[in-house]
Amino acid sequence: MNPKAPEFGRFTEPSLLILVTLSQGPKHGYAIMTDIETDTGRPMGAGTLYAALARLEESGLIEPLAPVDRRRPYRLTGVGASMLAEQLRGLSAFAQQGLRQLGESMS
Amino acid sequence: MRQFLIRLYPAVWRQRYGDEFEALLEERSIGPFDVADIILGAIDARLRLRGRRSVLTQTRGSSMSLRMGGLAAIVAGATWGFALVVATGVLPWVIADGDQWIQFAIFAVGSIALLLALIGLSAFQAREHPTLIWAAFAVPAVGTVVSLVGLAGMALLNDAPLVAGVSSWYLFSFGLIAAFVGSGLFAIASYRTGSLSRVGSALLAVGSLFLVPTLVTSNSQWAPSFIMVAITVAGFSLGWIVLGASAFRTMAPAADPQPA
Repeated sequence: MNPKAPEFGRFTEPSLLILVTLSQGPKHGYAIMTDIETDTGRPMGAGTLYAALARLEESGLIEPLAPVDRRRPYRLTGVGASMLAEQLRGLSAFAQQGLRQLGESMS
Repeated sequence: MRQFLIRLYPAVWRQRYGDEFEALLEERSIGPFDVADIILGAIDARLRLRGRRSVLTQTRGSSMSLRMGGLAAIVAGATWGFALVVATGVLPWVIADGDQWIQFAIFAVGSIALLLALIGLSAFQAREHPTLIWAAFAVPAVGTVVSLVGLAGMALLNDAPLVAGVSSWYLFSFGLIAAFVGSGLFAIASYRTGSLSRVGSALLAVGSLFLVPTLVTSNSQWAPSFIMVAITVAGFSLGWIVLGASAFRTMAPAADPQPA
């Protein structure tokens, strides 16, 4: 089954980054923020993070775990993992096509 | 500062995410970028919550109009079916010719139920096709009101002219034809929208639109006229009942809003 990616508007890219980060395992908000900043070199604000987390949780792509000392970890659901894999495959194919076209035009 | 920023979010959001959000903000220093980002996040949460409440109110309104319209459609179908069968005179032992008040009462109940059914089911279907449905609502609704006025005139004034020299009987008959033909238009519109039973819409369309040829041939000894009467009565009555039943099937319980 290939679940359809939900429409998150301006939170689409932050949501994808969160899903990729959570593919390493459950993380709480602060860990997600710092990992994204390390991986992409761009900070993600707390407002953006929680707007995207709320959408992902509502769509069933992630789920909250029991809080540890007020910090609540989130983990990827099965549907979230399938959707992420599908999205990454699509992006990979798009990137490869783009690189191929770029190579053709430069040669 | 942190508390102020958190309080910008709606209460229902704070209830769900407040603690962990506060813990997150405590782990880092807050700069102008963070303040702006949190303000935008709070606006987003409030807009999403407002959108949900609006959908919920709309859903509850639709559910109420469906319930009212569905019940009224079933009552209208059953009452009109009974009234039309009695009017054909095939069941003289049920209501005698002299029991005019009973006949008036049955027509009145059927007409009021028909009006409520039109209002309720139109309000529900108009969410997606407002122009088509409200246009189709106008003719039968006006017809039903006119026939009710005519009915009241017949009950109170007998054959005396009611409005501009027009007798109550003519007013009632004109309203009745408009209500039937209009019901046919309403059925066609309902069939096109597909929100309610298409079988019910088709039955109602056939029953309603058969009224005029049925009336034209009703005084003739032409054999098929009885079949046409049967089609009109069965189609009109069953059509409304099936539409009403489908309205109840369409109803879904409303969900409470989740935090944004």
